[in-house]
Amino acid sequence: MKPIRPSRLIAKAVLALAGFLAVFPLAWTALNALKNNVDIITRVPKVVFTPTLANISYILGRDSVLTGLYNSAVACGAAVLIGIVLGLPAAYAVARYPNRFAGDIQFFVLSLRFLPPVAVAIPLMVIWLQIGLYDTLPALIVTYSLLTISVIMWLAIPAFQGVPKEIEEAAFVDGYGAYSVFWRIALPVAARSLIGAIAFSFVLVWNEFLIALMLSSSNAKTLPIVASELSQQGMNVPWGILNASVVLLSLPPLLFLGVLSGFLNSVFRQKKS
Amino acid sequence: MRRRSSLPVTFLVPTLAILLVLSMVPTLYAIVIALQNRELSAPGYSWVWFSNFADLFTDRRFLNAVWVSVKWEIVTVVATMVVAIGLGVLMFEVASPRLRNFYCLLFIIPVLLPRVSAAFVWKFAYHPLYGIATYPYRLVTGGLIFDPLSKPGTALFAVASVDVWQWGLFFAVIVLKLLETLPPQPIEAARLDHAKRWQIHAYVTLPMLKAPLVSLMFVKMIESLRSFDLIYVMTRGGPGVVTETLDMYAFSQGFIESGKVSYASAMAVLMMIATVITFTMLWKRVQA
Repeated sequence: MKPIRPSRLIAKAVLALAGFLAVFPLAWTALNALKNNVDIITRVPKVVFTPTLANISYILGRDSVLTGLYNSAVACGAAVLIGIVLGLPAAYAVARYPNRFAGDIQFFVLSLRFLPPVAVAIPLMVIWLQIGLYDTLPALIVTYSLLTISVIMWLAIPAFQGVPKEIEEAAFVDGYGAYSVFWRIALPVAARSLIGAIAFSFVLVWNEFLIALMLSSSNAKTLPIVASELSQQGMNVPWGILNASVVLLSLPPLLFLGVLSGFLNSVFRQKKS
Repeated sequence: MRRRSSLPVTFLVPTLAILLVLSMVPTLYAIVIALQNRELSAPGYSWVWFSNFADLFTDRRFLNAVWVSVKWEIVTVVATMVVAIGLGVLMFEVASPRLRNFYCLLFIIPVLLPRVSAAFVWKFAYHPLYGIATYPYRLVTGGLIFDPLSKPGTALFAVASVDVWQWGLFFAVIVLKLLETLPPQPIEAARLDHAKRWQIHAYVTLPMLKAPLVSLMFVKMIESLRSFDLIYVMTRGGPGVVTETLDMYAFSQGFIESGKVSYASAMAVLMMIATVITFTMLWKRVQA
């Protein structure tokens, strides 16, 4: 057997350490969510302890948390839906019907991401206050739609370009119209990448914080805002409860881990061919 | 057939119209507000034109925020790219395909977390008495206290480390995928010339990937502008104003301290102009 070179060994150790660092802080937070406060506030971290579900049941029993969960689900769900309805067809048109403005349209969609969130949130707050929609879900949904439409459109353009042209041409020859080619051919063939793009836009708005913070004061608070407020209960921080709320907030995006890593793989497999 | 269809118009025009309205209305209104003297507490206002902007340039806290933002941008972008390229190359060199997939899955986890969650996870970890990240220090020094988030010298780096934790690991996955798309011949040729492993990457593979790596850096520069969530949760701009970036200062002027919406909006407008100009120029260069 060949002796393993020390440099390879070091490289493997560095990788293992990075992998450990990637998940350990989160795993530790999840562990703390199952601890009594006494077991968290220790100078030497405790690995062995009697687990408790008190933190989790406290979190799930709070009205503010449930309202936050509901608001997040409705605001993100509706915004993603609007993003799908408006973003996918537009992306298909850019991908398949090239025109003079295609480059400019793509740049415009990308440039929406350059806008500092504060610069969008301050004027929108004033506008929503004036028309009486401040601190409501519709205001949040409309604002988030700007994000979801542009992100879904940006990611769906290459997805539609990846559909082999021949299939679409064949459908035209068979007498399909332009719209039914989109519905029956392009959408199903590109579905895998499109689901990745949609999942990405959901994670983006679910994680959004600054705009929600500025556009809500009591009724429309989303889960990230509620979670951040739990930490401001004075000096006597309920550590276990905080940890539990962080875990609750992090779960939905992590559900998409599989979809998104599959999406990454398909993007790069396309590039290779 | 394709040419004469009404599809491009019906699919594109409504979406673009809505995007234009949703983006231009707030942008233009931000400029309008910046030229007035609106405050949250008082309903009335008048036009003050450019006096908000003039005030900004003599506001030392604003100039500090500009400097902090620039530092934040440089530290996070450079550290992210170094971590990404380093780990990406290591995975490419020493990990078997199955191990690569496993690491890729692990490295995507941090970036999926809401910024607020990531900030809390590390705020606990950095706690001077009970944190898991400061525990090794307490162990080695026999119980001395190290509080990275409240020391002026380390606070910015402590917050930046969370950003790099999220993005650096994620970009490592992308760097690996990029390396995997390269044709094997140039690497083989370099190996036959007895090039060392690091030389192959420094002189062959990474230069071949220059264009996608520059695009990656561009994406990170844009995402680094969104530092607010981390800083708001972890330090609130403190200690003092050491970690107060532009969006944090705009937020505290507009909402926490004085409710000077117009003043905050003037700041936001300057940020918007600076980022749109910078990134448009960079984008044209990246594309060229």
